[in-house]
Amino acid sequence: MRTSGACVARRIFIPCSSLALTGLLLLSLTVAHAEWETRGNVTLQAQVFIEDPIHTADQSENLSLSAESEFFLSFGDASSLTITPFVRIDQHDKERTHFDFRELLYSFAGDDFEFKAGLGKVFWGVAESVNPVDVINQFDVVEGGGSDEKLGQPMINVQLSREWGDLDLYLLPGFRERTFAGEDGRPRLPPIINTEDALYESSAGQSHVDTAFRYTRVLGDWDLGLHGFHGTARDPLFIADQNTGELTPFYYQNNQVGIDAQATLESWLLKAEAIYRSGDAIDDHAELVTGFEYSFYSIAESNIDLGVVSEWLYDERGDDASQPFQNDLLVGLRLALNDEQSTEALFGVIADLDGGGQLLSLEASRRLGDSYRLTVDASIWNNAVHDPSLAAFRHEDFAQIELSYFF
Amino acid sequence: MLSVNRLRIAVLLGCSVLACNVTAQSAEERGLEIMNAVEAQNDGFVDSTSSMTMTLINRSGKKSVRSIRSMTLEVPGDGDKSLSIFNKPADVKGTASLSYSHAIEADEQWLYLPALKRVKRISSKNKSGPFMGSEFAFEDISSQETEKYTYKFLEDAEFDGVRVFKVESYPAYKYSGYTRVVNWIDQERMVPVKVEYYDRKDTLLKILLMSEYEQYLDTFWRAGRMDMKNEQTGKSTVLEFTDYKFQTGLTDKDFSSSSLKRAR
Repeated sequence: MRTSGACVARRIFIPCSSLALTGLLLLSLTVAHAEWETRGNVTLQAQVFIEDPIHTADQSENLSLSAESEFFLSFGDASSLTITPFVRIDQHDKERTHFDFRELLYSFAGDDFEFKAGLGKVFWGVAESVNPVDVINQFDVVEGGGSDEKLGQPMINVQLSREWGDLDLYLLPGFRERTFAGEDGRPRLPPIINTEDALYESSAGQSHVDTAFRYTRVLGDWDLGLHGFHGTARDPLFIADQNTGELTPFYYQNNQVGIDAQATLESWLLKAEAIYRSGDAIDDHAELVTGFEYSFYSIAESNIDLGVVSEWLYDERGDDASQPFQNDLLVGLRLALNDEQSTEALFGVIADLDGGGQLLSLEASRRLGDSYRLTVDASIWNNAVHDPSLAAFRHEDFAQIELSYFF
Repeated sequence: MLSVNRLRIAVLLGCSVLACNVTAQSAEERGLEIMNAVEAQNDGFVDSTSSMTMTLINRSGKKSVRSIRSMTLEVPGDGDKSLSIFNKPADVKGTASLSYSHAIEADEQWLYLPALKRVKRISSKNKSGPFMGSEFAFEDISSQETEKYTYKFLEDAEFDGVRVFKVESYPAYKYSGYTRVVNWIDQERMVPVKVEYYDRKDTLLKILLMSEYEQYLDTFWRAGRMDMKNEQTGKSTVLEFTDYKFQTGLTDKDFSSSSLKRAR
């Protein structure tokens, strides 16, 4: 599973995406006559970068078109097939023009168990800022827009549902490499990331078979999760080439155990995710995200709800952490108008508590008519020049507008 | 089980309509008795599935349509469990919500977001908020246990050619959007046909008409249509129910936070 399907040779990106689009179209035509259920969207995206970059990608505007559709086929009561192709065509960035199967998954649901095999996508966790416990899928980082987009992960999954809770066992044969913005993509780090020659700690490389389990249980007001993971870390370290300055991803082996918990107490949601990671290539350490969300409902007898979100992000390694949130605080506001168009907005600041910079982000969306949705996003790296982990992004502030058609 | 329930209804109705009228029964006792009979009428449905079309109509008559499939499981001695799958508008297609309703304690609610494959536990406090931008609040469409209100019988009256009991109810829930709700109960079928909602300032807020009742399994009445009109804004919402099925064999396992992910 180097990359998905036909698009291994990334340099021939135009034929590749045409192929993907044609495939998607053919699939749509085929499924039109079967008992498939479909849902998905086509999204046109326009981005504007406010400043000139400190790297070589010289565009200040970018256009991009993406499509994702889930095709679901039920074979009677117990088993089903889900196929979710995704494709993006980007004006400038060859790496961002890509195709992936988010899902290609067979599922069989018995009375108290469920079996799944294929390419799948799962979510673990409770927090709003980042989810350290969410380790199964690789992030499709080139998609941008926070950490929501994930690559389909090869998996065999068995879930047991019992009185004492749900237990999920995973066998993960095949590793997906993280995607990064290419030479002409923005926002990106100044050094080019050499995704062609990624390095692995395990001699098995991408074929290393990872294993994981997760146990979840609802106890009254509490939703609890416990997990373990053994295998290739999804977040690479980077090795810099002394001559070219390029960064080569290094995927190391690690063991992770962790817990997540949410208490739902009237207007309060209290949340925590904690993990402990160990491996030969990293310092053994703990990571923690904990905080709350408090909602003011029906403000001044209107239908408007306002939520206040705050989370503390901590990495025991401090300045040596391989991620930017070693001691940071998220403060966010979530606004929901609860109107016919489901207008909503989320504004957040993640501030470095060790005197570094802040990442400001805004996301607002509103339905147009019955089938369209307009989304506006903005990301601003403030004071980034004083923060080693953010400095590289100091000229990458951008705003983005998306028009999506849903079906 | 069914025959016992019918007997219970017969006893309750016999009491409220005939015998107890002449004894010194307070308006509160009579109100509770009538609403208990309404609830008892529904005992033993076990489970049901249905489809709902929701049409939002604004003041200028512009319409927007939502469509939802629902499954409900009766929980004896407690509120029902229900699972709803949203089909329209298209941007929420595949979103599903799970709710464990309770008579006294807070309800439990989860939301499944299919794009992220994420199940989120959400606060159930916001019962007065609008359901999907409609004129129905969450508290209007959640399961109606008698413990959620106190009652007062107002009068016998006539509505649309049928004899009705008018019963006023007062939400026990402190965050309810209403000071009081007036129910028109069809005396023959023991189902609500009209409801008036009064806001926190005790001003008439909304009027609900429930019509096109059909009886299932010779026992359970379900309204085929509900018209909610907001008297303060002029907006209205129409719910139309189809494909009602009862006792389909659903169990607790179909109403768990993990089953929410595979709900269709």
